[in-house]
Amino acid sequence: MKQILANDSLALVARTFLGFLFIVASIDKIADPVAFANSIGNYKIMSGTLLMLFATVLPWVELLCGLCLLAGILMRGSSFLLSSLLVVFTLAIISALLRGLDITCGCFTQDPDAGKVGWMKVVENTGLIFLGLFTLFSTSVKFSLQSYLARQSVKRL
Amino acid sequence: MITIRQGLREGVFIVLTAGLLGFVFTMVMERGLFAGPPKQPPMSVASGEVPPAMIDIAEAQSLFESGNALFVDSRHEFDFKMGHIKGSVNLPLKDYDTRRDFLTTLPKDKVLITYCDGAECNSSIDLASKLHQAGFSGVRIFFGGWSEWTSHNLPTERVAQ
Repeated sequence: MKQILANDSLALVARTFLGFLFIVASIDKIADPVAFANSIGNYKIMSGTLLMLFATVLPWVELLCGLCLLAGILMRGSSFLLSSLLVVFTLAIISALLRGLDITCGCFTQDPDAGKVGWMKVVENTGLIFLGLFTLFSTSVKFSLQSYLARQSVKRL
Repeated sequence: MITIRQGLREGVFIVLTAGLLGFVFTMVMERGLFAGPPKQPPMSVASGEVPPAMIDIAEAQSLFESGNALFVDSRHEFDFKMGHIKGSVNLPLKDYDTRRDFLTTLPKDKVLITYCDGAECNSSIDLASKLHQAGFSGVRIFFGGWSEWTSHNLPTERVAQ
């Protein structure tokens, strides 16, 4: 297990994949927070000001986490946040499915023609949660800005 | 344990930064929180044309009983088969582009009323907009949809298996 967590290539692939995924996911939401709020509102979990607060901050969390993972800084915080968010998203989708809600996911695009939430989305998200946990507990810092900065500061000493 | 604690600490920093960026961005761009309460996504209708109007259950029932309306179900085929408004036809929004030939079977002399599950879906609005753009005049949206129709015990039917 320790060997897997220390694998540089695996860590780089996981970080890059998650980073890109969340950057792409955040763009539509940042561009149109109201459409994103409508998508979240369809889940019937929150409403009003709380909903708009969530729709305002969440896309930026996704964007920052994605950028941090790609750059290789604040990797623990980014992985922790993304894993936690994915758990919350998955629970929301399961809850919507159990309540028989006929809604689009609102995950990557706010296009109403996008696919509806389904159990496949739960499976996809579960895979992403494992990927997030892997990057959280990964001990590899190779190819990261964090290790580059650390090397530079050691050189200065 | 140290990993989680570090994750939490960095996570709080990221959330605070994201919050700041989110507020500044929406304030400068006058979007989201700073653009009024959430509203239905606007329908893209050519300028100068009257967009499809929403009707309530009373009007939907009255048009149903008059026989001058055709209900168009925008839900998935499976949902349609399980039950739909009596006499309605199924045109799932996701299949709209691949089923353009279906439009030729729709009557031009009747009011087309789109519906989906109810308040939890928007596909009836989007389908109405597309039908309107395709040249159908007098398209209506029954936003209460299937849920409201069945809650009023109005006529339904299902496709025999």
